[in-house]
Amino acid sequence: MFCNQCQELLSEYIDGALELGEQVNLERHLADCEPCRAVRDDLLQIVHFSHQLPLQSPSTPLWPRIQSGVEEFKPSFWSWPLRWFARLGRLNFNLSVPQIIAGTAALTIVVSIGVIVSRRDSVPVALSTGTATSVATSDVTPLSRADVQQLEKQISRLSETVELQKDSWDPALRTAYERNLLYIDQSLVECRHQLKDNPADDVSQELMLAAYREKVRLLEGFEKFSY
Amino acid sequence: MRYAIPLVLSALFSLLNVSTSADSRFERTYTPQHPAHLTLSNVNGSIRVIAWDKKTIVAHVNAASPDSVEDRVMGDEITITTKLNLRPRRVHFEVSVPPETSITIKNIMGEIELQGIAGHVSVTSIGSDVHLMKMSSPSVDVLVTSGDIFFDGELREGGSYTLQSMRGDLDVTLPSATPFNLNARALSENINLGSFVSNLTGSSRGPKGVSGTHLKGGSRLSLTAYTGRILLHKK
Repeated sequence: MFCNQCQELLSEYIDGALELGEQVNLERHLADCEPCRAVRDDLLQIVHFSHQLPLQSPSTPLWPRIQSGVEEFKPSFWSWPLRWFARLGRLNFNLSVPQIIAGTAALTIVVSIGVIVSRRDSVPVALSTGTATSVATSDVTPLSRADVQQLEKQISRLSETVELQKDSWDPALRTAYERNLLYIDQSLVECRHQLKDNPADDVSQELMLAAYREKVRLLEGFEKFSY
Repeated sequence: MRYAIPLVLSALFSLLNVSTSADSRFERTYTPQHPAHLTLSNVNGSIRVIAWDKKTIVAHVNAASPDSVEDRVMGDEITITTKLNLRPRRVHFEVSVPPETSITIKNIMGEIELQGIAGHVSVTSIGSDVHLMKMSSPSVDVLVTSGDIFFDGELREGGSYTLQSMRGDLDVTLPSATPFNLNARALSENINLGSFVSNLTGSSRGPKGVSGTHLKGGSRLSLTAYTGRILLHKK
């Protein structure tokens, strides 16, 4: 079994979904392959931590509301707003002060995110927002959305070249490439999550930019094995 | 006669082994006129560069084939490279240099160790632990995708020191009286400045980022980690 085959099966292996023969082959490979063991351990850690996350259950009164919403749904264009206005009129606004405050806060957050997102679409994103001039707060230059697209285009072009050739590489080289690509992608996902939670988080923006650059560097480093 | 054939065969094997090990060692001595810039480019294997008190640069490279390593000298620019191959064998570099030599290292996998270097240092690798010991360089730039980075040395006034690992710890040991401007970022929110934190003034940037000035500042220390930790120790 090759490392790429092993790593493709690891998720199913962890879920216990492999047939016995495949499982034996995979375990035989894992016994001899330290890089694949490391990938397995990483996946196990992710599974472990995700199991520790608190289970969020919707409140009991929500289910009848969802059910009635589903039953009333009709794909007509005007039916929904008309029904919405009709129901609005029937509603009994009997809200407590904390509920009103929470509702206002939620609305403010939604509007703020909307404004920020729309501004990010049209204005270059200033990734360097450090305020203390005497301190080396950031060595990252401002990056516009166009620059991000340029980086993504460059990554896509490099990936195509590398992916076409990697089957001809030495297994150790291929494993190093795949593992490190996975690490960068995990970091990019994490940065995106953090920016989704807080779009003004300048440290996450810097880290995401550095991760993009790292991905370009990795792909360029392996592109030379393609000739 | 019964033992003649095995004896001849073993003698032949011994000769073959001797010639193989002799062929697999690339050894060169360079005598630069000024502080040199040495570039080492490897794919899979360790790189060790140690400063010594001589004016020459001596390189020992263990490779499977002598043809897999090549060097180029242009004035005080010295480059030693392992040739690219789809199935690269392990190649180990061991180089002794005058302390003021500037070093550039490019590698894919394998341990990297530098000791006693006082010239500029740049290290880029994909999967390597990097050990920088007894350093006094005016600039250090280390970029690895996965692997720990250890730095133990001095920071020079006005110097620039950048360490980044996406999957590994940054472990930095400095003399307690070192002035510097710090910018530390860790996606894991795991930044431990040890007792440096008590003399750090300036702005913190939240759990993922710390910036500030230690003593009067001067050199720029930029540390970036993703899943790993940033650790600062006083010597």
